[in-house]
Order: sequence, then structure tokens, then C-alpha cells
Amino acid sequence: MKSNYPGIYRECIKVSFATAATYRFNFVLNAIIMLVSNVLFPLVTILIYGSGAGFPGWSFYEVLLIQAVFTLSAGISGALFNGILWVTMRHIIEGSLEIVLIKPVDCLFYLVASTFEPDSIGLIAGGCIMFAIAAGNAGAISLLMWLQFLALFLAGLLVMMGISFIMAATSFKWVGNSRIPEIFESIKSFGKYPQSILNKSAAAFAAFVIPVAMVGCFPAAALLGKASMPMFAAVIPCVLFALSGIFLYKYMIRLYEGVGG
Amino acid sequence: MDIITVENLNKTYETYRRGSKFSETFKSFFKREKVIIEAVKDISFTVEEGEIAGILGPNGAGKSTTIKMLTGTLFPTGGTINVMGYTPHKERAAYVHNIGAVFGQKSQLIWDIPPMDSFNMNKAIYSISDRDFKYTLDKLTGLFEVEDIVSKPTRVLSLGERMKCEFIMAMLHKPEVVFLDEPTIGLDVIAKQRIRTFIKEMNAQGTTFILTTHDLEDVEQLARKVVIINHGQKVFDDKLQNLQLVLGSKKIIHLMLTSPRTDIKIEGTEVAEKKSDYEYILEVNLANSSINTFIRNLTNMCEFSDISIKELPMEKIITRIYEGHGVSAV
Repeated sequence: MKSNYPGIYRECIKVSFATAATYRFNFVLNAIIMLVSNVLFPLVTILIYGSGAGFPGWSFYEVLLIQAVFTLSAGISGALFNGILWVTMRHIIEGSLEIVLIKPVDCLFYLVASTFEPDSIGLIAGGCIMFAIAAGNAGAISLLMWLQFLALFLAGLLVMMGISFIMAATSFKWVGNSRIPEIFESIKSFGKYPQSILNKSAAAFAAFVIPVAMVGCFPAAALLGKASMPMFAAVIPCVLFALSGIFLYKYMIRLYEGVGG
Repeated sequence: MDIITVENLNKTYETYRRGSKFSETFKSFFKREKVIIEAVKDISFTVEEGEIAGILGPNGAGKSTTIKMLTGTLFPTGGTINVMGYTPHKERAAYVHNIGAVFGQKSQLIWDIPPMDSFNMNKAIYSISDRDFKYTLDKLTGLFEVEDIVSKPTRVLSLGERMKCEFIMAMLHKPEVVFLDEPTIGLDVIAKQRIRTFIKEMNAQGTTFILTTHDLEDVEQLARKVVIINHGQKVFDDKLQNLQLVLGSKKIIHLMLTSPRTDIKIEGTEVAEKKSDYEYILEVNLANSSINTFIRNLTNMCEFSDISIKELPMEKIITRIYEGHGVSAV
């Protein structure tokens, strides 16, 4: 019998909101903290441009657009994928993955669905506001630019998804690797700024090796009419990243050994 | 007809060992001693359709590892498992559609919200129709008398109430085989009895149960067949009533004397416990004698005010088997 995956996903989202509603104050506080801690970083950009300096070839609102796209991407991936790392780690440390494995669903899908994080709504809302302000001041945007933006933005989400799955998959072998997300957070920062400020090798790394430029810079560039062929070519490593994450996670599940009874 | 066939099942895994001294702890940062653990060694057994089979063993014997391999959640290192025609670890998603599991120490219920929401989650996962869901849920909540509590948050329920909900969760999709890993752990006698009654009723309707437990009362009341595992090896595999014969034909005699004695010596009899000079518990081996002969010898030796004759308690038989006495690997 085939499982009803959309139905399961809907049920998981319902449960996530029901859980959030149980601790309403914590939910509101979390959403505000996420919003404030992530939306404050454009302040640096405001200070840079306010002092008369700037990123060569990029106006204030163009840089703000990159950071708005980055915030949106972080918010959406936070809601959809980020929970898998912590829940995988917890299941492995406690030896409780059996309760997922005895369900007739794809384990990776179920863990992703069941860790939907409504708290990220604050971040998504903040990203949307920043995006509206920046896009409203960035000049005319054609339909083609919107379509290019959408394609590259989705590719950026694939990177975030792939990274989350790869980090979670490593937990099966290296139990308790809680600092790995911090390393990725640092690498991800490359995507927050125009790639023109990076040297060639760093820019190539951010575009094709760990394609974090796709998380913020490239989709924003598409919306500003600055898209180039290398940016579209960078979609390929994004797709490969996502597929590698899925493959690695599914492979690593085989290594699960549980804990003593 | 066999519903479960296990042949030469093995599971080994790697772990690391280090000493507890400071120098050994420090050394383990650079080099760790790898240890291969043989959790399950060449185990074979079968379970018939509609049976309740108990898997027993001391802590660390390998019974939970065996159950996990049977549920398809752990990959065996070697050997074969066939449950209802499926190889669990290879066809996990299709296979687990037909099984249920209750882990006494791991909850399937979502902690912060009512069990009803967890049941609805399983409804979506197992694609249960609205009609079937309502019918089964009404039946199961009625059997457990938990109609009122399924709408309360799981975290406010007692352990007994939670365990009843765990059973409902495991049975909603009407599985053919249900694996129970210490399902009565931590429960009071009333809750235990309710769970046992439920298992009996479900079994009478055709569900096969595989049970691991340390509670011998569970085994005595439920299991018809028993598999005992010790140090990863099978040491007993037979009907429950044959477990009594493993240590030979023995009886326990509780004796109250009318006058004090410092000892009782009768051929084929051991003093299992001397409570006082007036009260003895004897273990009589009836392999080469009869209870008649024993009573005659006892009457010739002393006078007694009370006597009771009992079977060797299950606890004693199991303890002896765990300690490796009286039975060799089967």
C-alpha cells in the first residue's frame, strides 16, 4: 500500500503548530528572537553605506536585496529542513530511531516533515519586509528577471537542504558533532554579500564547491538583471548537493545501531 | 504455519574500550581500542501464526537486538529473517505496514499534544480510511477504557495511561504481527493485568505477538512458546510447559517442623533455604525417586505440622538458565 505523503506532511505541519500553540509564549519569543538576530545584520550594511563607503558596483538597496533573499532563504530552510540535524542527533544519542523506522514511510521524509519549525515564520516575515523594501527601490523588475530569480532561489534552497542532510547524515558516524552547523554558518556567510568582494578562488568556491552564493547573492543578482551564465551553471552543483545529501542520509541510516536495551 | 523464520542470525558491531585512569582517558583522544561485540550469535527459531512467543534473556543478552532486526530497524550482519514472506531490513517500508511495535522505554506518542493527534498521524501514515479509523479507535479505546484521556496532553498522563495509548497507536492499522519490547515495564499490577488482557484478546482475534520482557508473570500468563537468549546465543526454544523440565523433574517443598532440627538430609533432596530450625524450603529431585518415597523418608526422619509441594518457580528456572546451569545451547 502506498503512503499518502502530502497527507502525512499536512498532518506533521498540523502537529507542529499544535505543539507551538501548547507553548504559545515560547513560540512568540522564539519567532521574535530569530527575527531580531537575523534581521539586524543589514545594520552593518547601513553603517557601511552611511559612512560613504560601499561594495563596488552595488548600491545600498541592491546589497539589501541580497541580504533580504538570504534571510528569506534562511527562514524557509529553517522551517523546512533545519530540524533534521538536531532530531537525527537526538535519535542516535538516545537510540530511539526505531520509532521512526517502524513506520511505513521514507525515514528522511518523515523526519523532515515532523521537524517543521513554525518558529521560523518570524524570520520569513522579516525577510519578506526587507525584500519588499529592497525590491521596491531596486528599479523595474521584468517577468523574466522574476522567473530567473525564482529558479535560482529554489536552487539556493536545494543547497540549504543538501547541507542540512549531509550534516545530519554525519551524525550516524560521528555522534554528537554539534559544532558542524557552526562551521556551515560561517561558510554560508559568503552568500550574504556581493561576490565581487571575494577573490577569484573564494568566489569559485562559493559558486561551485559549496554553492552558498546561490543562497543570497545569485538570486538577487538575477532580480537586478545582473545574472550571468556562470550563475546559471552553478545550479548544477546545487542539484548535486541536494542529491548527495539525500543519498548520503539514506546510506548512513544503514549504519544505525541503536543503543542498549 | 510459521509466520516468522529466523536462521543463523548474527549481529556484530564495533565499539571502543578505554580504561578509567586519567592517562587512559587522555590517550583515548589519540588512539582508541576497537572492540568487536557479537550481540547475536547464530540464532535460529520459528514462530507460528497466531502464537504469543516470549523472548527472554538477562540484560545485554541480545534480545532487543534480535527484536530490532525482526522489525527491520537494524541490519543483521549475517543469517536470514523471513516474516510473512518479507525480509524485514530489505523491504522495510512494505513490511512495516503489516507489523506493529510497542517499545516500553521509547514512546511513539508526541509528548506535548494529546494522543489523539498521534493517532491521527498514524491514520495518515498507514492510509487508514475514516470509517476503519473510527471503528478501530472506538474498539481499542473501549477495551482500554481510555475514551476520556486520549484528548488530554500526553505529558499529563500516567505511565499506565500512556502505555495503553502506545498499544492503541501500535494496533490502529490492524497489524498481523506485533512486537512488544518490555511492554509492562514500570507499570502497577492493575495496569499490567489490563495490558495482558488486551494482548490475550487481540491474540484471540488472530494477531501474533512477539514479546521480550523481564517480567516472568507476563511470560507465564501470555506466552505459549519461549526462546531464551543468553550471551547472544539461544539456550532454550520450546513450549513454556517444557521449561519446567529443563532442570529435571524437581519440586519445591515448604516444610514446618513440630520440633527443631539443625539439618535435613534425604537422598535426592537439597536444602534450598533454612529459615529457622523449624522452617525449611527443600528442593527435591524426582528423577530417580517419587514424591511418595520422599514423604515416607521425611516422615521417618521428623514430624511436621505443615507441608506444601510446589513446582519449581519460573524465576528459579530462568535464573539457573541465565547462569548456565542445567541446560546447554539448544
